[in-house]
Amino acid sequence: MDTAGLTPQEAARTALRAGLPLESDRHEAVAATANHIHSVIATLRELDFRDTPPATSFMAVTAVTAVTTGQGDTDAAV
Amino acid sequence: MQPYELSLADAARAVAAGELSPVELTDSVLERIESVEARLQAYVTVAAESARKAAARAEQEIARGRLRGPLHGIPMGLKDLIDAAGLPTTASSRVRADHVADGDSAVAARLSAAGAVLLGKTHTHEFAYGLTTPQTRNAHDHSRVAGGSSGGSAVAVAAGEATFALGTDTGGSIRVPAALNGVVGLKPTYGLISRQGVTSLSWSLDHVGPLTRTVRDAELVLAALDGRDRREPGGVSAVPESGDLTGLRVGVPRNYYFERVSPEVEESVRRAIGQLQELGAELVEVEIPMTRYIQAVQWGLMVPEATSYHEGTLRSTPDLYAADVRILLEAGEFVSAGDYLRAQRARTLMRDAWAQMLGRVDVIVAPSVPMTAVESGQDSVRWADGTVEAVSDSYVRLSAPANITGVPALTLPVGRDHAGMPIGMQLMGRPLDEATVLRAGRAYEVAAARSDAGAGQLAPVAA
Repeated sequence: MDTAGLTPQEAARTALRAGLPLESDRHEAVAATANHIHSVIATLRELDFRDTPPATSFMAVTAVTAVTTGQGDTDAAV
Repeated sequence: MQPYELSLADAARAVAAGELSPVELTDSVLERIESVEARLQAYVTVAAESARKAAARAEQEIARGRLRGPLHGIPMGLKDLIDAAGLPTTASSRVRADHVADGDSAVAARLSAAGAVLLGKTHTHEFAYGLTTPQTRNAHDHSRVAGGSSGGSAVAVAAGEATFALGTDTGGSIRVPAALNGVVGLKPTYGLISRQGVTSLSWSLDHVGPLTRTVRDAELVLAALDGRDRREPGGVSAVPESGDLTGLRVGVPRNYYFERVSPEVEESVRRAIGQLQELGAELVEVEIPMTRYIQAVQWGLMVPEATSYHEGTLRSTPDLYAADVRILLEAGEFVSAGDYLRAQRARTLMRDAWAQMLGRVDVIVAPSVPMTAVESGQDSVRWADGTVEAVSDSYVRLSAPANITGVPALTLPVGRDHAGMPIGMQLMGRPLDEATVLRAGRAYEVAAARSDAGAGQLAPVAA
Protein backbone atom coordinates (compact mmCIF):
# COMPACT_ATOMS: atom_id res chain seq x y z
CA MET A 1 0.00 0.00 0.00
CA ASP A 2 1.23 3.47 -0.83
CA THR A 3 0.98 5.73 2.23
CA ALA A 4 1.74 8.94 0.33
CA GLY A 5 -0.74 11.55 1.43
CA LEU A 6 -2.27 9.30 4.06
CA THR A 7 -5.24 11.08 5.65
CA PRO A 8 -5.99 10.83 9.39
CA GLN A 9 -8.97 8.62 8.60
CA GLU A 10 -6.88 6.33 6.41
CA ALA A 11 -4.23 6.18 9.14
CA ALA A 12 -6.82 5.11 11.68
CA ARG A 13 -8.20 2.42 9.36
CA THR A 14 -4.78 1.09 8.40
CA ALA A 15 -3.61 1.01 12.02
CA LEU A 16 -6.74 -0.87 13.01
CA ARG A 17 -6.05 -3.37 10.25
CA ALA A 18 -2.61 -3.85 11.82
CA GLY A 19 -4.27 -4.52 15.17
CA LEU A 20 -3.46 -1.11 16.62
CA PRO A 21 -6.58 0.87 17.53
CA LEU A 22 -5.69 4.57 17.62
CA GLU A 23 -7.66 7.02 19.72
CA SER A 24 -9.24 9.73 17.57
CA ASP A 25 -7.03 12.48 18.96
CA ARG A 26 -3.96 10.65 17.60
CA HIS A 27 -5.08 10.15 14.00
CA GLU A 28 -3.78 13.44 12.64
CA ALA A 29 -0.36 13.37 14.36
CA VAL A 30 0.27 9.72 13.49
CA ALA A 31 -0.70 10.33 9.85
CA ALA A 32 1.66 13.32 9.67
CA THR A 33 4.57 11.34 11.13
CA ALA A 34 3.87 8.36 8.86
CA ASN A 35 3.78 10.65 5.83
CA HIS A 36 7.10 12.22 6.81
CA ILE A 37 8.73 8.79 7.24
CA HIS A 38 7.30 7.73 3.89
CA SER A 39 8.70 10.81 2.15
CA VAL A 40 12.19 9.90 3.39
CA ILE A 41 12.00 6.17 2.65
CA ALA A 42 10.37 6.62 -0.77
CA THR A 43 13.69 7.94 -2.11
CA LEU A 44 14.82 4.31 -2.36
CA ARG A 45 12.38 3.78 -5.25
CA GLU A 46 14.83 5.67 -7.45
CA LEU A 47 17.36 2.83 -7.23
CA ASP A 48 17.69 0.13 -9.86
CA PHE A 49 18.33 -2.97 -7.75
CA ARG A 50 18.54 -5.52 -10.58
CA ASP A 51 19.53 -8.78 -8.84
CA THR A 52 20.69 -7.22 -5.58
CA PRO A 53 19.50 -9.34 -2.63
CA PRO A 54 18.50 -7.89 0.73
CA ALA A 55 21.28 -7.56 3.30
CA THR A 56 19.39 -9.68 5.81
CA SER A 57 21.18 -12.87 6.60
CA PHE A 58 19.84 -16.27 7.44
CA MET A 59 22.02 -18.68 9.33
CA ALA A 60 21.09 -22.32 9.15
CA VAL A 61 23.48 -22.96 12.00
CA THR A 62 21.68 -22.11 15.24
CA ALA A 63 23.27 -20.80 18.40
CA VAL A 64 22.77 -24.23 19.99
CA THR A 65 24.73 -25.88 17.19
CA ALA A 66 27.43 -23.23 17.44
CA VAL A 67 27.82 -23.90 21.14
CA THR A 68 28.15 -27.65 20.60
CA THR A 69 30.78 -27.10 17.93
CA GLY A 70 32.67 -24.52 19.97
CA GLN A 71 32.06 -21.72 17.51
CA GLY A 72 31.98 -18.11 18.65
CA ASP A 73 29.02 -16.42 20.26
CA THR A 74 28.95 -13.38 18.05
CA ASP A 75 25.90 -12.51 16.01
CA ALA A 76 25.34 -12.90 12.34
CA ALA A 77 27.33 -10.63 10.09
CA VAL A 78 25.61 -8.04 7.96
CA MET B 1 44.68 13.26 41.62
CA GLN B 2 41.77 11.29 43.09
CA PRO B 3 41.24 7.64 42.06
CA TYR B 4 37.97 8.51 40.27
CA GLU B 5 39.96 10.77 37.94
CA LEU B 6 42.21 7.97 36.68
CA SER B 7 41.83 6.54 33.20
CA LEU B 8 41.17 2.81 33.03
CA ALA B 9 44.75 2.09 31.91
CA ASP B 10 46.25 4.19 34.72
CA ALA B 11 43.92 2.67 37.32
CA ALA B 12 44.73 -0.84 36.07
CA ARG B 13 48.45 -0.09 36.24
CA ALA B 14 48.09 1.20 39.82
CA VAL B 15 46.00 -1.82 40.86
CA ALA B 16 48.49 -4.25 39.32
CA ALA B 17 51.36 -2.47 41.06
CA GLY B 18 49.62 -2.66 44.41
CA GLU B 19 49.44 1.14 44.64
CA LEU B 20 45.65 1.28 44.52
CA SER B 21 43.08 -1.20 45.76
CA PRO B 22 39.81 -1.87 43.93
CA VAL B 23 38.00 -0.92 47.15
CA GLU B 24 39.69 2.50 47.26
CA LEU B 25 38.95 3.06 43.59
CA THR B 26 35.30 1.97 43.83
CA ASP B 27 34.73 4.01 46.99
CA SER B 28 36.21 7.05 45.28
CA VAL B 29 33.93 6.68 42.24
CA LEU B 30 30.86 6.06 44.44
CA GLU B 31 31.66 9.22 46.44
CA ARG B 32 31.98 11.10 43.16
CA ILE B 33 28.56 9.80 42.14
CA GLU B 34 27.11 11.01 45.44
CA SER B 35 28.54 14.48 44.97
CA VAL B 36 27.57 15.16 41.33
CA GLU B 37 24.74 12.80 40.45
CA ALA B 38 21.94 15.06 41.69
CA ARG B 39 22.91 17.56 38.99
CA LEU B 40 23.85 15.18 36.16
CA GLN B 41 21.34 12.32 36.46
CA ALA B 42 23.56 9.86 34.60
CA TYR B 43 22.26 6.79 36.44
CA VAL B 44 18.91 5.04 36.63
CA THR B 45 20.17 2.70 39.36
CA VAL B 46 23.30 2.84 41.50
CA ALA B 47 24.09 -0.51 43.12
CA ALA B 48 26.55 0.78 45.72
CA GLU B 49 26.36 -2.12 48.11
CA SER B 50 26.92 -4.85 45.52
CA ALA B 51 29.66 -2.74 43.92
CA ARG B 52 31.51 -2.51 47.23
CA LYS B 53 31.20 -6.27 47.70
CA ALA B 54 32.50 -6.94 44.19
CA ALA B 55 35.42 -4.58 44.80
CA ALA B 56 36.25 -6.36 48.05
CA ARG B 57 36.22 -9.73 46.23
CA ALA B 58 38.52 -8.32 43.56
CA GLU B 59 40.86 -6.96 46.20
CA GLN B 60 41.06 -10.35 47.93
CA GLU B 61 41.71 -12.18 44.65
CA ILE B 62 44.43 -9.75 43.60
CA ALA B 63 46.01 -9.96 47.06
CA ARG B 64 46.22 -13.73 46.54
CA GLY B 65 48.09 -13.14 43.30
CA ARG B 66 45.15 -13.84 41.00
CA LEU B 67 44.96 -10.70 38.87
CA ARG B 68 42.57 -11.49 36.01
CA GLY B 69 43.62 -8.64 33.74
CA PRO B 70 43.36 -4.86 33.30
CA LEU B 71 39.64 -4.68 34.11
CA HIS B 72 39.94 -6.51 37.42
CA GLY B 73 38.55 -4.28 40.16
CA ILE B 74 37.67 -1.42 37.76
CA PRO B 75 34.25 0.21 38.40
CA MET B 76 31.97 0.66 35.41
CA GLY B 77 28.42 1.44 34.35
CA LEU B 78 26.11 -0.36 31.92
CA LYS B 79 23.55 1.41 29.75
CA ASP B 80 20.15 0.43 31.05
CA LEU B 81 19.34 -1.65 27.99
CA ILE B 82 21.96 -4.21 28.99
CA ASP B 83 20.84 -6.99 31.32
CA ALA B 84 22.72 -7.54 34.56
CA ALA B 85 21.39 -10.35 36.73
CA GLY B 86 19.15 -9.19 39.56
CA LEU B 87 18.93 -5.57 38.46
CA PRO B 88 16.09 -3.91 36.56
CA THR B 89 16.64 -3.19 32.87
CA THR B 90 14.31 -0.22 32.65
CA ALA B 91 15.38 1.14 29.23
CA SER B 92 14.62 4.44 31.01
CA SER B 93 10.95 3.72 30.37
CA ARG B 94 7.83 3.36 32.49
CA VAL B 95 6.98 0.41 30.25
CA ARG B 96 9.73 -1.53 32.03
CA ALA B 97 9.02 -0.29 35.56
CA ASP B 98 8.67 -3.77 37.01
CA HIS B 99 11.41 -5.50 35.03
CA VAL B 100 14.21 -7.45 36.68
CA ALA B 101 16.84 -9.24 34.59
CA ASP B 102 17.01 -12.92 35.42
CA GLY B 103 20.51 -13.28 34.04
CA ASP B 104 23.53 -11.46 32.74
CA SER B 105 23.73 -10.32 29.13
CA ALA B 106 26.71 -11.75 27.25
CA VAL B 107 28.66 -8.50 27.66
CA ALA B 108 27.87 -8.20 31.37
CA ALA B 109 29.07 -11.79 31.79
CA ARG B 110 32.29 -11.00 29.92
CA LEU B 111 32.97 -7.95 32.08
CA SER B 112 32.13 -9.88 35.23
CA ALA B 113 34.55 -12.64 34.18
CA ALA B 114 37.20 -9.97 33.62
CA GLY B 115 36.65 -8.83 37.22
CA ALA B 116 35.06 -5.45 36.47
CA VAL B 117 32.90 -3.92 39.22
CA LEU B 118 29.34 -2.99 38.22
CA LEU B 119 28.37 0.39 39.69
CA GLY B 120 24.90 0.56 38.21
CA LYS B 121 22.77 1.20 35.15
CA THR B 122 23.01 4.42 33.16
CA HIS B 123 20.23 6.41 31.51
CA THR B 124 19.27 5.99 27.88
CA HIS B 125 16.89 7.94 25.70
CA GLU B 126 13.76 5.82 26.18
CA PHE B 127 14.40 2.43 24.52
CA ALA B 128 17.34 4.08 22.71
CA TYR B 129 14.90 5.75 20.31
CA GLY B 130 16.33 9.27 20.39
CA LEU B 131 19.48 11.34 20.36
CA THR B 132 19.27 13.53 23.48
CA THR B 133 18.62 11.48 26.68
CA PRO B 134 16.45 14.21 28.24
CA GLN B 135 16.78 12.88 31.84
CA THR B 136 20.55 13.46 31.82
CA ARG B 137 22.55 16.70 31.62
CA ASN B 138 25.69 17.35 29.64
CA ALA B 139 28.77 16.99 31.84
CA HIS B 140 30.30 20.23 30.54
CA ASP B 141 27.23 22.47 30.63
CA HIS B 142 24.16 21.32 32.51
CA SER B 143 21.85 23.43 30.35
CA ARG B 144 22.79 21.43 27.26
CA VAL B 145 21.80 17.97 26.03
CA ALA B 146 23.80 14.93 27.03
CA GLY B 147 23.35 13.43 23.58
CA GLY B 148 22.00 9.98 23.12
CA SER B 149 20.93 7.50 23.33
CA SER B 150 23.80 6.36 25.59
CA GLY B 151 23.75 9.75 27.33
CA GLY B 152 24.07 8.40 30.86
CA SER B 153 27.12 6.30 30.00
CA ALA B 154 28.88 9.24 28.31
CA VAL B 155 28.15 11.67 31.14
CA ALA B 156 29.17 9.14 33.80
CA VAL B 157 32.55 8.59 32.14
CA ALA B 158 33.05 12.30 31.44
CA ALA B 159 32.29 13.32 35.02
CA GLY B 160 34.21 10.61 36.88
CA GLU B 161 31.06 8.68 37.84
CA ALA B 162 32.47 5.55 36.16
CA THR B 163 35.94 4.60 34.99
CA PHE B 164 34.34 3.23 31.83
CA ALA B 165 30.88 2.32 30.60
CA LEU B 166 29.09 0.38 27.89
CA GLY B 167 26.56 1.80 25.49
CA THR B 168 24.68 0.75 22.39
CA ASP B 169 24.75 2.36 18.95
CA THR B 170 22.00 2.01 16.32
CA GLY B 171 22.51 5.28 14.46
CA GLY B 172 25.24 6.93 16.54
CA SER B 173 24.08 6.32 20.10
CA ILE B 174 27.59 5.64 21.44
CA ARG B 175 29.44 8.18 19.28
CA VAL B 176 27.01 11.09 19.58
CA PRO B 177 26.97 11.39 23.39
CA ALA B 178 30.68 10.53 23.56
CA ALA B 179 31.47 13.41 21.20
CA LEU B 180 29.14 15.84 22.98
CA ASN B 181 30.71 15.07 26.38
CA GLY B 182 34.36 14.90 25.33
CA VAL B 183 34.99 11.18 25.78
CA VAL B 184 35.96 8.29 23.52
CA GLY B 185 33.31 5.98 22.08
CA LEU B 186 33.76 2.89 19.93
CA LYS B 187 31.10 1.25 17.79
CA PRO B 188 32.75 -2.04 16.83
CA THR B 189 32.07 -3.97 13.64
CA TYR B 190 28.48 -5.21 13.40
CA GLY B 191 28.25 -8.64 15.00
CA LEU B 192 31.67 -8.59 16.66
CA ILE B 193 30.20 -8.14 20.14
CA SER B 194 27.25 -10.26 21.24
CA ARG B 195 23.92 -8.50 21.70
CA GLN B 196 22.43 -11.38 23.68
CA GLY B 197 20.60 -9.92 26.69
CA VAL B 198 20.58 -6.38 25.28
CA THR B 199 17.22 -4.72 24.61
CA SER B 200 16.99 -4.06 20.90
CA LEU B 201 16.04 -0.92 19.05
CA SER B 202 16.75 -2.33 15.59
CA TRP B 203 18.27 -5.78 15.29
CA SER B 204 20.07 -5.16 12.03
CA LEU B 205 21.65 -1.88 13.16
CA ASP B 206 22.32 -2.37 16.91
CA HIS B 207 25.88 -2.55 18.25
CA VAL B 208 27.32 -2.71 21.79
CA GLY B 209 30.56 -0.92 22.61
CA PRO B 210 32.64 0.97 25.17
CA LEU B 211 32.71 4.61 26.27
CA THR B 212 36.00 5.54 27.88
CA ARG B 213 38.27 8.50 28.59
CA THR B 214 41.03 7.42 26.20
CA VAL B 215 41.45 5.36 23.05
CA ARG B 216 43.79 3.08 24.97
CA ASP B 217 40.98 2.42 27.47
CA ALA B 218 38.56 1.58 24.64
CA GLU B 219 41.03 -0.98 23.38
CA LEU B 220 41.22 -2.61 26.81
CA VAL B 221 37.44 -2.88 27.13
CA LEU B 222 37.04 -4.16 23.58
CA ALA B 223 39.55 -6.90 24.30
CA ALA B 224 37.46 -8.07 27.24
CA LEU B 225 34.22 -7.92 25.23
CA ASP B 226 35.47 -9.83 22.20
CA GLY B 227 37.39 -12.35 24.25
CA ARG B 228 40.94 -11.46 23.19
CA ASP B 229 41.93 -11.06 26.82
CA ARG B 230 41.10 -14.75 27.30
CA ARG B 231 42.88 -15.91 24.17
CA GLU B 232 45.97 -13.88 25.03
CA PRO B 233 46.43 -14.37 28.78
CA GLY B 234 48.92 -12.06 30.34
CA GLY B 235 48.19 -9.08 28.23
CA VAL B 236 46.31 -7.51 25.40
CA SER B 237 48.59 -6.36 22.65
CA ALA B 238 49.05 -2.64 23.18
CA VAL B 239 48.79 -0.10 20.40
CA PRO B 240 52.34 1.15 19.80
CA GLU B 241 53.01 4.32 21.79
CA SER B 242 55.33 5.70 19.13
CA GLY B 243 52.40 6.94 17.08
CA ASP B 244 54.18 6.63 13.75
CA LEU B 245 51.47 6.45 11.09
CA THR B 246 53.79 6.13 8.11
CA GLY B 247 52.08 4.12 5.40
CA LEU B 248 48.57 4.62 6.77
CA ARG B 249 46.17 5.85 4.06
CA VAL B 250 43.60 8.18 5.58
CA GLY B 251 40.53 8.90 3.47
CA VAL B 252 39.29 12.49 3.71
CA PRO B 253 35.73 12.82 2.35
CA ARG B 254 35.21 15.45 -0.31
CA ASN B 255 31.43 15.18 0.08
CA TYR B 256 28.83 14.61 2.80
CA TYR B 257 30.84 14.62 6.03
CA PHE B 258 31.84 18.28 5.93
CA GLU B 259 28.52 19.56 4.56
CA ARG B 260 26.22 21.37 7.00
CA VAL B 261 28.86 21.19 9.72
CA SER B 262 29.55 24.09 12.08
CA PRO B 263 32.74 26.03 11.20
CA GLU B 264 34.26 25.34 14.62
CA VAL B 265 33.73 21.58 14.27
CA GLU B 266 35.20 21.57 10.76
CA GLU B 267 38.22 23.62 11.85
CA SER B 268 39.02 21.32 14.79
CA VAL B 269 38.62 18.14 12.77
CA ARG B 270 40.70 19.44 9.84
CA ARG B 271 43.41 20.47 12.32
CA ALA B 272 43.37 16.95 13.76
CA ILE B 273 43.58 15.51 10.24
CA GLY B 274 46.67 17.67 9.73
CA GLN B 275 48.07 16.12 12.89
CA LEU B 276 47.55 12.62 11.45
CA GLN B 277 49.45 13.75 8.35
CA GLU B 278 52.29 15.07 10.52
CA LEU B 279 52.45 11.63 12.13
CA GLY B 280 53.14 10.11 8.73
CA ALA B 281 49.69 9.31 7.37
CA GLU B 282 48.99 9.80 3.67
CA LEU B 283 45.81 11.80 3.07
CA VAL B 284 43.65 10.53 0.21
CA GLU B 285 40.53 12.35 -0.96
CA VAL B 286 37.52 10.00 -1.15
CA GLU B 287 33.98 10.27 -2.51
CA ILE B 288 31.39 8.88 -0.09
CA PRO B 289 28.97 6.75 -2.15
CA MET B 290 25.16 6.80 -2.18
CA THR B 291 24.84 9.63 0.32
CA ARG B 292 21.38 10.54 -1.00
CA TYR B 293 20.06 7.26 0.41
CA ILE B 294 21.67 7.16 3.87
CA GLN B 295 18.72 8.51 5.83
CA ALA B 296 16.26 6.46 3.77
CA VAL B 297 18.12 3.22 4.48
CA GLN B 298 18.55 4.06 8.17
CA TRP B 299 14.86 4.82 8.61
CA GLY B 300 13.72 2.01 6.31
CA LEU B 301 15.48 -0.50 8.57
CA MET B 302 15.16 1.07 12.02
CA VAL B 303 11.56 2.31 12.00
CA PRO B 304 9.80 -0.99 11.17
CA GLU B 305 12.21 -3.08 13.26
CA ALA B 306 11.61 -0.88 16.32
CA THR B 307 7.85 -1.03 15.82
CA SER B 308 8.05 -4.80 15.50
CA TYR B 309 10.04 -5.13 18.73
CA HIS B 310 7.43 -3.09 20.63
CA GLU B 311 4.38 -4.67 18.98
CA GLY B 312 2.99 -6.15 22.19
CA THR B 313 3.52 -3.28 24.63
CA LEU B 314 2.47 -0.64 22.08
CA ARG B 315 -0.93 -2.31 22.17
CA SER B 316 -1.11 -3.21 25.87
CA THR B 317 0.43 -0.11 27.53
CA PRO B 318 0.78 2.67 24.93
CA ASP B 319 0.31 5.44 27.50
CA LEU B 320 3.48 4.41 29.33
CA TYR B 321 5.73 5.47 26.43
CA ALA B 322 7.07 9.02 26.19
CA ALA B 323 5.22 10.99 23.51
CA ASP B 324 8.17 11.25 21.09
CA VAL B 325 8.85 7.51 21.16
CA ARG B 326 5.21 6.43 21.05
CA ILE B 327 4.40 8.32 17.88
CA LEU B 328 7.44 6.91 16.06
CA LEU B 329 6.46 3.40 17.08
CA GLU B 330 2.88 3.95 15.93
CA ALA B 331 3.91 5.50 12.62
CA GLY B 332 6.23 2.56 12.04
CA GLU B 333 3.14 0.39 11.50
CA PHE B 334 2.74 2.06 8.09
CA VAL B 335 6.11 1.04 6.65
CA SER B 336 5.43 -1.73 4.15
CA ALA B 337 7.36 -4.93 3.61
CA GLY B 338 8.32 -3.52 0.21
CA ASP B 339 9.80 -0.42 1.87
CA TYR B 340 11.75 -2.58 4.29
CA LEU B 341 13.13 -4.85 1.57
CA ARG B 342 14.15 -1.86 -0.54
CA ALA B 343 16.10 -0.60 2.48
CA GLN B 344 17.77 -3.98 2.92
CA ARG B 345 18.66 -4.17 -0.78
CA ALA B 346 19.98 -0.61 -0.77
CA ARG B 347 22.06 -1.59 2.25
CA THR B 348 23.69 -4.33 0.20
CA LEU B 349 24.59 -1.77 -2.48
CA MET B 350 25.92 0.66 0.12
CA ARG B 351 27.98 -1.97 1.91
CA ASP B 352 29.57 -3.04 -1.38
CA ALA B 353 30.30 0.56 -2.39
CA TRP B 354 31.94 1.24 0.97
CA ALA B 355 34.02 -1.93 0.64
CA GLN B 356 35.34 -0.60 -2.66
CA MET B 357 36.13 2.76 -1.10
CA LEU B 358 37.87 1.07 1.85
CA GLY B 359 39.98 -0.89 -0.61
CA ARG B 360 41.81 2.36 -1.43
CA VAL B 361 42.23 3.71 2.12
CA ASP B 362 42.80 2.21 5.56
CA VAL B 363 40.58 4.56 7.54
CA ILE B 364 38.15 7.37 6.81
CA VAL B 365 38.24 10.46 8.98
CA ALA B 366 35.32 12.82 9.56
CA PRO B 367 33.51 14.85 12.20
CA SER B 368 31.50 12.67 14.60
CA VAL B 369 28.59 15.11 14.81
CA PRO B 370 27.97 18.31 12.83
CA MET B 371 27.69 20.54 15.92
CA THR B 372 28.44 20.53 19.62
CA ALA B 373 25.79 19.97 22.31
CA VAL B 374 22.74 22.19 21.85
CA GLU B 375 20.66 23.70 24.62
CA SER B 376 18.06 21.34 26.09
CA GLY B 377 14.74 21.87 24.37
CA GLN B 378 16.22 23.11 21.09
CA ASP B 379 14.44 21.19 18.32
CA SER B 380 16.10 22.36 15.13
CA VAL B 381 19.23 23.94 13.73
CA ARG B 382 19.53 26.39 10.82
CA TRP B 383 22.58 25.90 8.60
CA ALA B 384 24.52 28.48 6.60
CA ASP B 385 22.88 27.27 3.36
CA GLY B 386 19.50 28.25 4.78
CA THR B 387 18.25 24.72 5.43
CA VAL B 388 16.65 23.84 8.74
CA GLU B 389 17.28 20.39 10.20
CA ALA B 390 15.85 18.60 13.24
CA VAL B 391 18.48 18.31 15.98
CA SER B 392 18.04 14.53 16.10
CA ASP B 393 18.48 14.24 12.30
CA SER B 394 21.59 16.37 12.53
CA TYR B 395 23.19 14.30 15.29
CA VAL B 396 22.53 11.00 13.52
CA ARG B 397 23.55 12.17 10.03
CA LEU B 398 27.30 11.52 10.22
CA SER B 399 27.04 8.40 12.38
CA ALA B 400 24.45 6.38 10.46
CA PRO B 401 26.69 5.27 7.56
CA ALA B 402 28.79 3.12 9.91
CA ASN B 403 25.65 1.47 11.31
CA ILE B 404 24.31 0.72 7.84
CA THR B 405 27.61 -0.62 6.51
CA GLY B 406 28.64 -2.23 9.82
CA VAL B 407 32.16 -0.81 9.74
CA PRO B 408 33.97 -0.01 13.02
CA ALA B 409 33.76 3.66 14.02
CA LEU B 410 35.58 5.48 16.80
CA THR B 411 35.01 8.98 18.14
CA LEU B 412 37.63 10.85 20.12
CA PRO B 413 37.83 14.42 21.37
CA VAL B 414 39.86 16.81 19.22
CA GLY B 415 38.97 20.27 20.50
CA ARG B 416 36.43 22.66 21.99
CA ASP B 417 34.16 25.32 20.54
CA HIS B 418 33.99 28.97 21.72
CA ALA B 419 31.76 27.93 24.63
CA GLY B 420 34.14 25.19 25.74
CA MET B 421 31.96 22.37 24.44
CA PRO B 422 33.79 19.26 23.18
CA ILE B 423 34.24 18.42 19.49
CA GLY B 424 34.65 14.82 18.31
CA MET B 425 36.46 13.30 15.35
CA GLN B 426 35.31 10.02 13.84
CA LEU B 427 37.60 7.32 12.45
CA MET B 428 36.03 4.49 10.43
CA GLY B 429 37.80 1.40 9.11
CA ARG B 430 37.29 -1.88 7.35
CA PRO B 431 35.02 -4.48 8.94
CA LEU B 432 36.82 -6.28 11.80
CA ASP B 433 39.81 -3.94 11.48
CA GLU B 434 39.28 -2.22 14.82
CA ALA B 435 43.05 -2.44 15.34
CA THR B 436 43.80 0.10 12.60
CA VAL B 437 41.07 2.48 13.73
CA LEU B 438 42.37 2.32 17.31
CA ARG B 439 45.98 2.70 16.16
CA ALA B 440 45.17 5.92 14.32
CA GLY B 441 43.11 7.25 17.21
CA ARG B 442 45.75 6.37 19.76
CA ALA B 443 48.49 8.02 17.69
CA TYR B 444 46.48 11.24 17.57
CA GLU B 445 45.72 11.02 21.27
CA VAL B 446 49.37 10.59 22.25
CA ALA B 447 50.49 13.42 19.96
CA ALA B 448 47.76 15.74 21.24
CA ALA B 449 48.69 14.94 24.83
CA ARG B 450 52.13 16.39 24.16
CA SER B 451 50.70 19.64 22.87
CA ASP B 452 47.84 20.35 25.26
CA ALA B 453 46.19 19.15 28.44
CA GLY B 454 45.84 15.71 26.90
CA ALA B 455 43.30 12.93 26.72
CA GLY B 456 41.41 11.52 29.60
CA GLN B 457 40.63 14.74 31.45
CA LEU B 458 37.35 14.90 33.30
CA ALA B 459 34.64 17.42 32.59
CA PRO B 460 34.89 20.35 35.02
CA VAL B 461 31.99 19.35 37.28
CA ALA B 462 32.39 20.83 40.75
CA ALA B 463 31.92 18.35 43.59
